[in-house]
Amino acid sequence: MTSRPAYEGLATRAIAFAVDAAAINAGALAVAGTVALLLSVLSVPDWLDAALLGLAGVAYLLWTIGYFATFWSTTGQTPGDRLMRIRVCRADTGRPIGFGRSVLRLAYLTLAAIPLLAGFLPVLFDERRRGLHDMLAGTVVVATPEERVVSSAVPSRARTPPG
Amino acid sequence: MLGKALQLPTELAASTVRGTSRRLGDLALAGLDAVLASRVAEEAVDRALASGLAEHTVDRVFDQERLIDETVTRLLESDDLWVLVDSIAKSPAVTEAIARQSVGFAEQVAEQVREGTQRLDTRLEQAARRLARRPPRVSSESP
Repeated sequence: MTSRPAYEGLATRAIAFAVDAAAINAGALAVAGTVALLLSVLSVPDWLDAALLGLAGVAYLLWTIGYFATFWSTTGQTPGDRLMRIRVCRADTGRPIGFGRSVLRLAYLTLAAIPLLAGFLPVLFDERRRGLHDMLAGTVVVATPEERVVSSAVPSRARTPPG
Repeated sequence: MLGKALQLPTELAASTVRGTSRRLGDLALAGLDAVLASRVAEEAVDRALASGLAEHTVDRVFDQERLIDETVTRLLESDDLWVLVDSIAKSPAVTEAIARQSVGFAEQVAEQVREGTQRLDTRLEQAARRLARRPPRVSSESP
């Protein structure tokens, strides 16, 4: 018997997104702080300062796009998604989305956020809990089956099958 | 000649003493077993505890602060102790246990957050659907 996947709702997805936003900003802050420290000991002309600021903006944008697009198109899970045990996949096949579709989904997600986050409201009403960006990108967010942590932290004896 | 004549009674006497002492020992142990199995022993223990004797004894042991302090001070001053602590802390079993504990704790926190947000998802959805006068969503099962 095939069962429907468990589609994930607004709060779970918001928390996952917040975790990702924290990770993205932590990385960006670390780099920005290092660069700012380096520049503080140099005398930089004003025009170069403005150019560097623009470059930093572009770098931040690329970093954000790269972060989401890479994770969505490979495992279907960003670190935040992994923490909340959710996964982005194609609505028709259930497989991870491609890089291009990931970039598009991020663009649609930005669009959905612009009208006072109204683009996310369909998650509350749609049978598959899709937001505007999901509908446009043809994606759904589903729960991943529970994974037990079987890492090196588990003693090797415990992993050895009996007999 | 006289020595040989005395040897036999001496051995006889020794063997009698050994046998008697063994029998006496057995009797004493049997007696002790009987006493311990009796209600008298139980009552005696109860009375001793009720009299505060045990408490008093424990108090006296713990009152030996000087002894305890000295022992602790000497232990702390000993380099060997720190070598031991260091080797225990670095042992694979301990590091593995700490790692397992940390992973377990993080997993537990994450699980609680997940459960909380899933409940919130459902409530938000129900509230929104009630406001919009829509029927409740057909819930889906995990694969």
